[in-house]
Amino acid sequence: MDALEQLSHHAAELKDSFDPTIVFGGGGVGMTQYMFWMVICWILTAVVVLTVARKLTLIPTNKFVNTVEYGYQFVSNDMGEGIIGHGYKKHVPFLATLFFFILISNFVGLIPGCMTPTGTISVTWALSTISFIYFNWQGIKAHGGLGYIKAIAPSGLPAPMVPIIWFFEFISLVLRWLTLAVRLYGNMFAGHMVLGIFALATSIFITTSIPAAMPMAATSIAWFALLLVMYALECLVAFIQAYVFTVLSAVYIQGAVSSH
Amino acid sequence: MEIELVLSALKVIGYGLGTLGPGLGIGLACYGCCVGSARQPEVQGRLFTNFIIGAALAEALALIGFVTCFIV
Repeated sequence: MDALEQLSHHAAELKDSFDPTIVFGGGGVGMTQYMFWMVICWILTAVVVLTVARKLTLIPTNKFVNTVEYGYQFVSNDMGEGIIGHGYKKHVPFLATLFFFILISNFVGLIPGCMTPTGTISVTWALSTISFIYFNWQGIKAHGGLGYIKAIAPSGLPAPMVPIIWFFEFISLVLRWLTLAVRLYGNMFAGHMVLGIFALATSIFITTSIPAAMPMAATSIAWFALLLVMYALECLVAFIQAYVFTVLSAVYIQGAVSSH
Repeated sequence: MEIELVLSALKVIGYGLGTLGPGLGIGLACYGCCVGSARQPEVQGRLFTNFIIGAALAEALALIGFVTCFIV
């Protein structure tokens, strides 16, 4: 078979391997591979954060502890104080939990053989639902139920414009729910798909080149170089997406809590 | 078979068209962020945060396109 034909054939298989399948249990109730990795990421996040919290010292001596502490300060100063401003302290635990969980999930997926829990829409829906409920709840606590519904439209509008603007703002409020989920899922899924296809191309071109002439091997090396570049890019994307998710949650909290 | 193929091709083309606007928008936002932080490096952190927020808002349209590609 031609190398390109093989590639398109294997790419379909690769896409199927990303579908959630039940690995533990059965009969409709079970654990998909994404849930399995999600539990591992929970445990990993809890272990990392709790062990570091126990070893905190005034003058950091342990490099690992210092790194995690820097991450926490990054969330607290950059996202909490920088975006939410006054009264940011009570939101920092929520934001830091989101940040560390998403960061660890994204990076676990980059280890060959592991899967990222954020590469499925179900997990990201759950995360964005948590964020959506949290910021609406904080808004209702700050303004009261009716006050929060009114505060969706910015104040100071001429009276006839208020229902129209309120309607559009309401749509954008609900769209936040969708976009938070789909952004994380889309980036992670597409990134892993691209990595998978490049890895497939590397292996297919090298196996078809063994009986035939050598020029195919050069193609394979080129694919491998591209794979390395994409891997580096994915490391950046993994961090950026965790950052974006947390920053946007902070922005939404700020929008809900502050009086317009 | 034929019509299904055309439909799925049209979905991909539609999504490709849908990425044009957000692509331009994010490019503009990045341009502004780079120029702003070159002129005034001390506000770089804040500019970057605002850039991320703006890029996320522009990206929402591409994401809606991505979702409709699956739904319709």
